[in-house]
Amino acid sequence: MTRTTGVLALWLAVVGASCASPGDVSPMKAPMPAPAQLPQDGKLRIIAFGAHPDDTELREGGAAAKWAAQGHHVKFVSCTNGDIGHWNMAGGPLAKRRAAEVKETGKILGIAQEVLDIHDGELMVTMENRRTICRLIREWKADVVISHRPNDYHPDHRYVGVLVMDAAYMVTVPFFTPDTPYLTKNPVFLFSEDNFQRPNPFTADIVVAIDDVIEKKLAAVEALHSQFFEGGANGHAGLVPDSKDETAWAARKKTVRENFSKRFAATATKYRAALETYYGKDEAAKVGFAEAFEICEYGRRPNAEEIRKLFPFYK
Amino acid sequence: MASDKARIIVFGAHPDDCEYVAAGTGAKWAAKGHAVKFVACTNGDVGHFAMAGGPLARRRTDELAKCGRILGLTSVSLDNHDGELMPTLENRKTVVRLIRDWKADVVISHRPNDYHPDHRYTGVLVQDAAYMVTVPFFCADTPHLAANPIFLYCDDKFQKPNPFAADVAVAIDDVIEKKLDCFDALESQFYEGGCNATADTVPGDPAGKAARRKKVREELRAAFASKADKFRKQLEKRYGKKAAKIEYAEGFEICEYGRQPGAEELEKLFPL
Repeated sequence: MTRTTGVLALWLAVVGASCASPGDVSPMKAPMPAPAQLPQDGKLRIIAFGAHPDDTELREGGAAAKWAAQGHHVKFVSCTNGDIGHWNMAGGPLAKRRAAEVKETGKILGIAQEVLDIHDGELMVTMENRRTICRLIREWKADVVISHRPNDYHPDHRYVGVLVMDAAYMVTVPFFTPDTPYLTKNPVFLFSEDNFQRPNPFTADIVVAIDDVIEKKLAAVEALHSQFFEGGANGHAGLVPDSKDETAWAARKKTVRENFSKRFAATATKYRAALETYYGKDEAAKVGFAEAFEICEYGRRPNAEEIRKLFPFYK
Repeated sequence: MASDKARIIVFGAHPDDCEYVAAGTGAKWAAKGHAVKFVACTNGDVGHFAMAGGPLARRRTDELAKCGRILGLTSVSLDNHDGELMPTLENRKTVVRLIRDWKADVVISHRPNDYHPDHRYTGVLVQDAAYMVTVPFFCADTPHLAANPIFLYCDDKFQKPNPFAADVAVAIDDVIEKKLDCFDALESQFYEGGCNATADTVPGDPAGKAARRKKVREELRAAFASKADKFRKQLEKRYGKKAAKIEYAEGFEICEYGRQPGAEELEKLFPL
């Protein structure tokens, strides 16, 4: 009896304390959620979301290496585990393999990596996924968030774009997902480069020369063995040389390197005018490799001065 | 339109959005005896820095009722959590039934590229209800509309994939004080500052409180004045030389998925 009374008394005390009495609706008396405590190390915090375990490496691996080299904190998140991204293996074993691959790229680039355990090809725009993205951005205390555009070619890419857009602003709302301290400042949200034209083409608002880190970026590409040496979902046995044939492997490696070098060079060529804005005409002409980003309208909108603070790579 | 009175339904994301974009036009329609309903698609229950959940939803419902009285129309909210509106079939059916029950001639909503996910999905849901409201066996429990209403978007500032382009603008100088009174009534959002404010937003002393109330009103006045400049061209089309003197306005863009009104019909439909 005594115990029951004790529990009841405790229950009454807790409930009594948390309920405002009738007529007492002053919002100031309600418990306040806490904002995220920002680290005071003077370093930037960047989180990039890609659809599969290789997407962020291809689109912002260079900028990430440059940020990391200056001591800034960068995290890549793959929103799916990539478990159907191969022509002759799939499921758990492939997911484990690809998680190991991106872990390796994390070491090469000097950044954190996380892979969400969502099936490849099955990412959907759900509230659960919105909350996951919101929590990841808040926990990283991000100044900058990067994702695909919502009109990229693959459904997983598009829905990463939608989910991240839908987390913009909501990360600042204290009682949305109140288990995770909110951000007092909406981060700057950026889209990574793609070639799609409708409903509107990608705009290179920010372009970064990555010549100084191109070897790191190409090393990251090489670490993503299942995708680039073996060809991923659209690959075939003919792409993969005999494991003992060193000459054939060297040739394969050369081909992959050349193909990706061309891709990263094409960005520099395509956005030469934007490079001139950031580097001046003479320097821009010398840039061999680049990465480009578009400012999303739903995040904080940085002016030219803030862009240079967030991308501390320009003179 | 069954009579010379039009029936208008406006969908906003949160309990203040319809007021922000259409309170002036709504009040003018209502004053002429047209039937106007404002619907907030969420209950706004995370829209405050220091209170949330049911109590906030109830508080904001009361705020809407006050706005309804000020404007002479009905302003209500749906019991969906703030920040969690999704383009589900259930929500599409709710929106279809609301449009049909109101026997709407005109439906207004956000564009699907507005800044907040709830705004975007309100836009998507209302777009997805366009045309379907005319299909007899879709939501067969609610009598369908014989004619697809005219669907319009309310104003926003977003540029991609395309900027807002007003097809019609309404001078609201004659009802601006009513519109501003609404934001006084939407106290949790404007006076107290909603979810991005802090405990320091509202001063503790009476003089400070009065100053805060005045400041909020004047900031909003300036915001609605900027719309008259934004829509000056459209105002000139309707008001001629008088347009230069119009101080406050609201603008609307025709959505491609509803009935497409001619210039004359649009002119007649919107109050001067």
